[in-house]
Amino acid sequence: MSQVIEFDDVSKRFGRLSVLDGLSLGVQGGEVFGFLGRNGAGKSTAIRVLMGITAADRGEMRVFGERVSPGAIAVRRRIGYVAQEQNMYPWMSPRALGRFVRGFYPSWDDSRWGELNARFGLPEKRRLGTFSGGMKAKLALAMALATRPELLVLDEPTAGMDPVARREFLDLVRGETEREGVTTFFSTHLIDEIEAVADRIAIVEGGRAIYEGALAPLVARTVGYSIAVEHDVPGSFPGPFAAAYMEMLDDSVRGGRRHLVMFLRDDIALEQASAQAGTPQLSPGWRHESLSLEDVFVALVGNRAKAVALTS
Amino acid sequence: MATTALIGKDVREHGAAAIGLLVASLALVALAIAQNREAAFSMSPFEVVRFALITFVPLIVLTVGNRLIVREYLSGTRLFVEALPVGSLRPLLIKYLLGALFLSLLALVLLASCVLGSSAADDVTPLWLGQLLLKTLVVMCLYWSIVFCFSLCGHLRIVLYLVTLGIVALVAWMPAIDATRFAPFRLLDRDLFVFERDVTPVVDMLWTLGLAAAFVVTGFVIARLGNGSVAERLARPMTRRDFVVLGVLVVAGAGLAGAIAENRTREPIRFGNNTVLRVAEPAIEMYFASEAYRARSEAFLQSVQNAIEPMQARLGIDALPITRLALRPSRERHDIDYGTLDGVYVAANWLEHDSYDDSVLVAVVLHGLLTARTAGRAPFEPHHWVLDGFTRWWAETLGDPESLRDSHRDELLARAVFVVSRLDQEADLVTGWQGIADNFGYPSAEALAFSAVLYVAETQGVEAVFALGRSFLAEPVGASVLASLADRRRPAWQRFQEATGTTRNEFTSGWATWLASQAREPGVAAQLGLVPSLEPVFSVDSSDPTQPAIVAGYRQSDSGTPGDVHHDARCFLRYGALSAFDYEFEVGHEDERESLCAADEAAHRISGLHGAGDRVYVALEFESPDFHQPLRLGARRLEIP
Repeated sequence: MSQVIEFDDVSKRFGRLSVLDGLSLGVQGGEVFGFLGRNGAGKSTAIRVLMGITAADRGEMRVFGERVSPGAIAVRRRIGYVAQEQNMYPWMSPRALGRFVRGFYPSWDDSRWGELNARFGLPEKRRLGTFSGGMKAKLALAMALATRPELLVLDEPTAGMDPVARREFLDLVRGETEREGVTTFFSTHLIDEIEAVADRIAIVEGGRAIYEGALAPLVARTVGYSIAVEHDVPGSFPGPFAAAYMEMLDDSVRGGRRHLVMFLRDDIALEQASAQAGTPQLSPGWRHESLSLEDVFVALVGNRAKAVALTS
Repeated sequence: MATTALIGKDVREHGAAAIGLLVASLALVALAIAQNREAAFSMSPFEVVRFALITFVPLIVLTVGNRLIVREYLSGTRLFVEALPVGSLRPLLIKYLLGALFLSLLALVLLASCVLGSSAADDVTPLWLGQLLLKTLVVMCLYWSIVFCFSLCGHLRIVLYLVTLGIVALVAWMPAIDATRFAPFRLLDRDLFVFERDVTPVVDMLWTLGLAAAFVVTGFVIARLGNGSVAERLARPMTRRDFVVLGVLVVAGAGLAGAIAENRTREPIRFGNNTVLRVAEPAIEMYFASEAYRARSEAFLQSVQNAIEPMQARLGIDALPITRLALRPSRERHDIDYGTLDGVYVAANWLEHDSYDDSVLVAVVLHGLLTARTAGRAPFEPHHWVLDGFTRWWAETLGDPESLRDSHRDELLARAVFVVSRLDQEADLVTGWQGIADNFGYPSAEALAFSAVLYVAETQGVEAVFALGRSFLAEPVGASVLASLADRRRPAWQRFQEATGTTRNEFTSGWATWLASQAREPGVAAQLGLVPSLEPVFSVDSSDPTQPAIVAGYRQSDSGTPGDVHHDARCFLRYGALSAFDYEFEVGHEDERESLCAADEAAHRISGLHGAGDRVYVALEFESPDFHQPLRLGARRLEIP
């Protein structure tokens, strides 16, 4: 399947601050791609470059195979965009908003707009200034979908939402993207959102991707161990397998235990780990810890250099 | 489609406000036109256009900029538009054009209102109207371009407006800078903006448009730089760096002001001739032209010195500017030049003066000194009568009522009674002062004011007069802008009441009664009897449309006491065309027609000199050896239909 989005060594600086530092990743057509990163990792700037709002200083940005630059209107017409903050005109109603926005999109679908508004429970004559954050995000999603986009870009759309509204919104995203089969680029710093919707992810840190790929292998290759601090002796290690096939990503002490997050060095290590499943060979006092995606994410972004070396 | 959507959005968002602004502007213009009609020195209702351009139009432009641009930037809705498939410049360009369109509409409404308020005399030709419209549009374009550019500078815009205002104030009010010599100030020149009909100021308009273009380009560059990053940064609150920039701007502004102030410093006017008399305290210099005039000049210098010193002490004035008197032996007795540059400068001929003439001239000197002392506040219309009355009273009495010569008193009071007898209603010294001076001439207006001050002195004592002088003429203007504004907010009658303890009604009724009683005093009555019982009559004879004529004359008056008018007495018609550039008018001896003082309604006829649409100021004056200065019987501003 062809690549819909392609960041190729994209860099962007604002004054002395380097926001994107050689970002490279690709998004395939039809997939839901999770773009994960801490606050300030460069996600929003990457999206502004993707949309052609901001120009990259270096590298190449391609969407639908076309090079994107500021003013690339044609590309933007094919993208449905939901921003982090919904800066819509507070005096407009959803109906007025639809009238305004359709002027920009030749592919605008009025009936779909009405249908989505109804499905999302949005009153079409009420002023947007009276809408809650969740309602505005739904409206933005409806607006993005009513443009019949080939690519849906979501930039932390659930920021500031309460858990119920967030869950509801994510259900809508999942439902609509599955129904339409539209390529989706979902940027967030919330791990559970990614787990809920993404087929593949990229973890971005310091302006570059430190992991790009499917979720399952990432989780499978990351292993956690712990030992009580009183049993830990200098030079202690979980066992010979870990020493042979794993790299340390994180070593920390929490709740009276020393926690290690290890990463299987390569595919051979992964095969070995699978072969030894159920027959752990751990040094005395050490035990396995189950890791969430969040633990993996924290360990990866905490040791960026090693993460890049291991995941590339 | 996108353009239509953007225009439609802005029209829906701002349409009602735009209509509201237009209606409010229309109301203001209507008010200004009505005010213009009533004003004593207004020449044309089209002056309202210039008035609007320097007063409320900038505020309207600011409002437009605030609604169209600032609101979009500060509320973040710009980010919403930015994410839509439209170039970054198009929304901004549409906003600029919409603002320009609205302001053009405003210009048209402004001019249309003035056309409706105009008369045949304003001679509204399409060419002239086109010139006015063009100038108005160019000025509005500059305003809008500045506001457009600054609106894109986020919170810094407030600083930029303040700095710009400071620069404009500096240029407009610094005497060292002749702002009327360069655009855009020249376009708004008081005399030329409305009244220039022949020359279209193409160069000035191009300069102004060039300046406007520079602001527009800067605005677009700011919005474009770093794909919006600069505009985003500017839209945030001021940072420490912004404050540093502001500091640099303020220091630069102060440096500029200092440099200009330094340029202003120049050698003062100085009499360098041998025939100069000097007094150190109070500072007076007198140029007396020739040794032959030394004795007379020394005597007059003594009079001036005697008048200034005690007045300064009585009013508690610590310092007064220097007085420079220049003798001009070739002049008429009452032909006086007067200026307040580098102190007070008076050029006159005092060689043939008697004591009355000396008092007139001393009063002129005091007038100048107190005007300078109050930084020009004393001649404001509501205060002017106090200035005129007090200075003349002081010149006559030096603060001691016993010193007032009977002959002077009789002549001055006779003039005052004459003016009051010719006024349709009770003389209002505060609001009608300029009209009185215009209709009856400054000598009679001064006599009227003198009578009011004399009344205060005689009924409440001289201390009340000193208090009046201190309050109106000696208090320094507030040290700050706020204090100065607070000073302006004190109504003249409130100030009068605080100084004299008398209310306006008590004063005016008491003064009128007193003046009426003075009219019966033998000396005053005798002086009044020397005035012919004639009323002025003015008309325009346009029976021959090709040669309209101004006809003026005299008819017998019911009022007045017929007396023995001096056989050398003569009546004069004095006139002058009111040009576009006259906002204050006084006729001289250059254009006059003489006649006998007798009832003849067509004693004077001026034809062939004025055409349709001209305005002419016409005054009828009586001159007699019994009066030191001409007595104006009446005056009128005539429009040739």
